[in-house]
Amino acid sequence: MTIIHNRPLDDIAETAPTLGGNALTRAFSGGSLWRLIGMLVLILILGFLTIYPLAMLLYGSLHSTPPGMAGEFNLNGYRSIMTTQNLIVLANTIGISLAKTIPSLTIAVFLAWIVARTDTPFRGTLEVLITLPFFIPPILTAMAWGMLANPQVGVINMVWRWATGATDPLVNIYSYGGVIWHMCQYSIPFLFLFMVDAFRAMDPSLEESSRMCGASRWTTFRKITLLLMLPVLTSSFMLSFIKGIETFESALFFGLPAGIKVITTDIYESINHRATPDYQYATSLSFAIMGLMFLLVIWQWWMLRGKSFQTVTGKGFRPSVMELGPWRWVTFAFCVLFFFITVVLPIGQLMLGSFFRFFGFYTYDMLTLEHYRAVFANSEFWRAVRNTMVLGLLGATATMALGAIVAYISVRTRWRGRNLIDSMAWLPWMMPGMVLGVGFLWAFAMLPGPIPIYGTIWALLLAYIALGTPVSVRVMTGAYHQLSYDLEECSRVHGATWAQTMWRIMVALAWPAFAVGWVLTFFGIMRELSASILLYSVGSETLAVVLMKLWANGNAEQVSVIGLMMMLLVIVFRWVQLGFIKSRISKL
Amino acid sequence: MTTNTSMTSFIQKTSAIQKWSRRFFMAAAGSLAISAAAGMPAFAQDAEWQKVIEAGKKEGTLVLYTALVGQPSTKQIAEAFTKQYGISVEVLEARASEIRERVRVEQAAGRFAADVMFTSEGQTMLYDKEDKSVDPLPVTPNSQKISDKFKLKVPMASVMTIPYGIMINTGLVKPADEPKSWKDIADPKWQGKILSDDPRAIGAGYLWFFSTYDKIGEDYVKKVASQKLVFTRDQRESQRRTARGEYSIYMPVIMTDFSDLKGLPVKFIIPEEGVPYVLYGNVMLKKAPHPNAAKLYLDFMQSPVVQKIYAGLGYGPVLSGMTEGLPADVKAISEAKLYGTTDTTRQNEMLAKSKDIFK
Repeated sequence: MTIIHNRPLDDIAETAPTLGGNALTRAFSGGSLWRLIGMLVLILILGFLTIYPLAMLLYGSLHSTPPGMAGEFNLNGYRSIMTTQNLIVLANTIGISLAKTIPSLTIAVFLAWIVARTDTPFRGTLEVLITLPFFIPPILTAMAWGMLANPQVGVINMVWRWATGATDPLVNIYSYGGVIWHMCQYSIPFLFLFMVDAFRAMDPSLEESSRMCGASRWTTFRKITLLLMLPVLTSSFMLSFIKGIETFESALFFGLPAGIKVITTDIYESINHRATPDYQYATSLSFAIMGLMFLLVIWQWWMLRGKSFQTVTGKGFRPSVMELGPWRWVTFAFCVLFFFITVVLPIGQLMLGSFFRFFGFYTYDMLTLEHYRAVFANSEFWRAVRNTMVLGLLGATATMALGAIVAYISVRTRWRGRNLIDSMAWLPWMMPGMVLGVGFLWAFAMLPGPIPIYGTIWALLLAYIALGTPVSVRVMTGAYHQLSYDLEECSRVHGATWAQTMWRIMVALAWPAFAVGWVLTFFGIMRELSASILLYSVGSETLAVVLMKLWANGNAEQVSVIGLMMMLLVIVFRWVQLGFIKSRISKL
Repeated sequence: MTTNTSMTSFIQKTSAIQKWSRRFFMAAAGSLAISAAAGMPAFAQDAEWQKVIEAGKKEGTLVLYTALVGQPSTKQIAEAFTKQYGISVEVLEARASEIRERVRVEQAAGRFAADVMFTSEGQTMLYDKEDKSVDPLPVTPNSQKISDKFKLKVPMASVMTIPYGIMINTGLVKPADEPKSWKDIADPKWQGKILSDDPRAIGAGYLWFFSTYDKIGEDYVKKVASQKLVFTRDQRESQRRTARGEYSIYMPVIMTDFSDLKGLPVKFIIPEEGVPYVLYGNVMLKKAPHPNAAKLYLDFMQSPVVQKIYAGLGYGPVLSGMTEGLPADVKAISEAKLYGTTDTTRQNEMLAKSKDIFK
């Protein structure tokens, strides 16, 4: 069985009727001058958000000193990264990233399928619960897993020794396995979130046809479901693999003590732990990695080129689920097990720890509420909550709006420059956060005086939009890929304006993806530290900055309290979001 | 050392110390006006300094960047300063490298946002020599009173020293086995039992390496390297890990953290040789928007009031006579013999050595 191929994208876009209407309508629908202006504006915005800071970093990689200091242009940075040791570190990094991406993607696909396409019981609840680990700041899960799985006193190992009489530990978090596991905990829920609505939005008639033709559930899953999901899957793979290369915390917490080196810890050291920060080395190394990543993206484009993956058509779209019979309890058990390992164990540790004077010392006389009191009485914390909420709401909305526009143009039109804006939106994802943070600092500080961005909350907002756009574009790209062109054509034929078509068809159908992207971006902003620490100003502290300060001063318990509050927020957001999606879908 | 014995009752006493420190702080801050008036009569009458005070008050605000992240004392001292002069203090905290790049790039772009920077002696040298982002140190009433050894060649107004020592888990280390000196760490019985801040990168571990390499020698450092140390870069979490029993020893530990670990089975030891230390102080940033307020703040940080506050928390003061009346255990840390610190001019050489020895 093969995937159906509708008309090639180019044909459709080319033959789409040119509509009248106002200037705005024409700008994005057909009027070539307005379209050109619209594209130019978009290119300018993306250029400012992504190319400009990257250009500053490129300057840093080609100049003997950072911007603003006397020096000379040379290639010393690139020369200095060409070492055998770096090659080994690179191979190590790629290996770790692959080792976490493949199982993460497999598990995430399975979970997304279970939640979106089967009749597994309590799917709504499971959907909220299994995404929780993604939203916990990495330092907190590191702390929790450091207690659960350290070889000497880890709870898991102590239980194992008690139960089996063994002397050797069962698990050791300070190892390759530990680093990969810690990364997986973020990867799986992220990928799940990224994919689940694509699974949900899929027309089940193709699967039903497959089953009616005699294919087994497994064959149908493999040959229909998975293949239809190819754009989302490759995007997910790419996002996850690249993020894996850039992941820093897991390697710092669990790799370093075991002598495991990765590119990001090397970059971190070159900026933070040398006599003089070596920005030329850090930026050169980052650009070299970026070059490699770009090859991957090109591979993805090549793979998806000319194919159509539309499953949401105008013909009897009816989301339904596969009946698994008794197997639904097996899938349920799988989800519960996943939830238990990734949520109950670490978050349970955090919750427990937040009620004791010291994390990990659980005796009756250490019980206290002082950490909660301290957090609630901390005025800086509340100010940071306000700032973060404002930045999160504005930032996530703006990021998703930008991402939706970029994705729409790149997927559903063949306007000149669409590949350019798609690539521009990708760029921040391929640069390690800590280096990109420096890029934003350089970029905003070096703006001409009258542009009042540096040192204001706007600097943070712009950085967050740039950092979030790659995800927003990928999320929306996946959603648009699945919408049939028939829907738009039908709407237009029936006399709807472009704006009406956009609102009633595209926005309505892509809404679940938009909402997921919004939540991902919102919590991305909430956790972001690399750019925040360099760009925040007095009064515009964010929650991540406050967390970092508390952590630096050894207040792990207060950090846990804030982490738990973030969890609560996530749960509320997800319930609202899922309720909203359900009500939208039921109206379709 | 006097201090090693007196440290034995640390665990039981830390609560009292903590409470004492808090009370002391409040009392000290409250009596600021009295001590300021009594402490610097000669200079206070100086017309020039009066002009600085008046001008600083008019400026009304001070922007302070600090690399000492998360320390509650920063805010408390800032509040005391505001109470004294009516000048509000805006505090921005970030790690040393982040603060430095921020200052450098702000100045390069002509955005002179900050007045004072609280940082280490080593960083000051880089600010001064490489970035050229600091102004010469002003002479203030209190600056003339600090101990001679803390009067520096770099333009930093010394404030206090951060001492580093050894931490043990009392459940795992019997009193008879407790290490008493840095040399004891090299005993083979500790093989695989030491958690250490990474000496191969700038930080506490490197500070220990630098001091002991210089004072005891390469053979000693190599012996320690053969102990199969486990490296970390997270100081506070490492203290907890050791307290939980993952390791018998954590080193080097920030001695002033003792009060935060009250109630845990740990003990802080001041090594017989002394404590490696980092000297912290204030620099005045170039083209500071509030230069007079900055001078007042530099002076304030060297005043007996602030010096006593730091001494009360275990930091080493730069004014003599500031540890009088402190509880014995705090006094022991605050007065601990200073062993050695790093030299920025030799950093590349010493980092290379450390990487070579610790691989």
